[in-house]
Amino acid sequence: MLLDGLLQAARLLLTGDGDTWSIIALTLRVSLTATALALLLGVPLGTALALGRFRGRRVLLTAANTGMGLPPVVVGLFVTVLLWRSGPLGAFGLLYTPTAMVVAQTLIAAPIVAALTAAALQQVDPNFLLQMRALGATRAWALRALLAEARLPLLAVALAGFGAVVSEVGAAQMVGGNIQDETRVLTTAAVLATSRGQFALAIAFGLVLLAIAFAINLLVTLAQQHEARSSAP
Amino acid sequence: MSISCRNLLVVDRGRQRLAVDHLEVADGETLAVLGPNGAGKSTLLRALVRLEPAATCGEVLLDGEPVAPRKLRTAAAAVLQRPVLQRASVLDNAAAGLRMRGMRQARARRLARPWLDALKIAHLADRHARTLSGGEAQRVAIARALAVQSKVLLLDEPFTGLDATTRADLIADLRAALDQSTAAVLLVTHDRDEGAALAHRTALLLQGRIRQLGATTYVLDAPADLDCAHLLGYTTRLPPELTGRDVLLVARPERCRLLPPGEAPARSAVVVSGTLRRVVPLGGTTRVDVDTAAGPIAVLTTTEVTAAPGDPLCVAVDGRNTRECPPPAICPRSD
Repeated sequence: MLLDGLLQAARLLLTGDGDTWSIIALTLRVSLTATALALLLGVPLGTALALGRFRGRRVLLTAANTGMGLPPVVVGLFVTVLLWRSGPLGAFGLLYTPTAMVVAQTLIAAPIVAALTAAALQQVDPNFLLQMRALGATRAWALRALLAEARLPLLAVALAGFGAVVSEVGAAQMVGGNIQDETRVLTTAAVLATSRGQFALAIAFGLVLLAIAFAINLLVTLAQQHEARSSAP
Repeated sequence: MSISCRNLLVVDRGRQRLAVDHLEVADGETLAVLGPNGAGKSTLLRALVRLEPAATCGEVLLDGEPVAPRKLRTAAAAVLQRPVLQRASVLDNAAAGLRMRGMRQARARRLARPWLDALKIAHLADRHARTLSGGEAQRVAIARALAVQSKVLLLDEPFTGLDATTRADLIADLRAALDQSTAAVLLVTHDRDEGAALAHRTALLLQGRIRQLGATTYVLDAPADLDCAHLLGYTTRLPPELTGRDVLLVARPERCRLLPPGEAPARSAVVVSGTLRRVVPLGGTTRVDVDTAAGPIAVLTTTEVTAAPGDPLCVAVDGRNTRECPPPAICPRSD
């Protein structure tokens, strides 16, 4: 059956099956957008958590760390309730659209990005900012230099965020609804195929999903290795 | 450009860490601030560029004029105790101070290169900063600060953690580099040899206060009180009850001498008798602890010690090598 799945996956991709390609395209679009938004929210938040000296910093850091294990189903439920026609944001009519999926996946990835960003920045020499500013850097310049200093771990942070959203199914299913040609992504398509007993098709989707995750990770890892090699002793 | 401060006060969690009424480093001058660990040296340096996180008040002036922190930090460049370098090549690290002042990369690199030469690390220019030894990294950090050609240069124990040879080489190269510069240099250190090698004037900082300030050659040889004496290496105390003088005398242990039996001391010498407690070989020298009626004293000698523990012996110190020492001035503390 696994072999069947492999063959079918190859056939799906090679024959340029329109449905499959649109599912892959939507998966990439939703997950990459959500990852980008999560980085936009999570990196500044993580930076503040790592460097800030404000009341409640530890509580927030703990909250972000807890958020790393946030069940996608809970986020899906929360976003569904918000976007439900009679809900607070129901007027926008976003439920069961890719936008809703992006919102849910951003909420899943943002705490992961924030917590890991904080951890990545705390690895940098604690005197880094002080030294940059003592040399005459403005606060903004020093912060930018700090983020550049942690660029390798920050790449890993982006990967972790992408990995979390591309592979989750609960929220995508709940707020997207798995509507054919509209909100069907690889994970929800695999779930549907499995529930229909179309195991080969489900395996094919699963393999494509793996291939995407692998390809993106490969790209980033290669970039990371290149950078790390040039700084190896 | 001179940098000075007035009534600089740093209070951290209710404890006064630093209280400096006045300190000035003139144009082209190097001032060493000498103090033991925890005396407030790094605090002083951070407070001068307004980067001390604890509550700070007082004024910092450039050429006698109070300036805003932003302008102050542009005029100054500091080297911290441990070199903190960026993940980049040595040349780009050396150019960082210029880059952060808005200079284009090519020009910043061109201007930074001569300073790599000055600090004898030109051959490392293309190496990644992560691959450097401690001494090399420290040279890069110093070159980075010098390349800015700032009006004020602040050095926070830049030779910490280097082996003796590396340190001596770096001090010599830094001396030569500073001679080319017209910056006001403040060197913070716990090592009096660094002050002696680099500074025109020296201030002694103890418990957050400046106890003594003057020409380096004078200050290092004329401790104002017992604490200063200890800091400057005058650690052998000869109290009045041993010497018969009416004031406490101090001396460097390496200037004390064990008097061979039968030899008459020089007329000007101070002689103290006691019993040998122990002999500790220290490589080139030998430390001899002698119990006296007023407590133990230490002598450093390069000659062979034949006496055994418990043997009576005499310690002689030439009159030129003793200093009269009033008890420490009691300074009011606000905590």
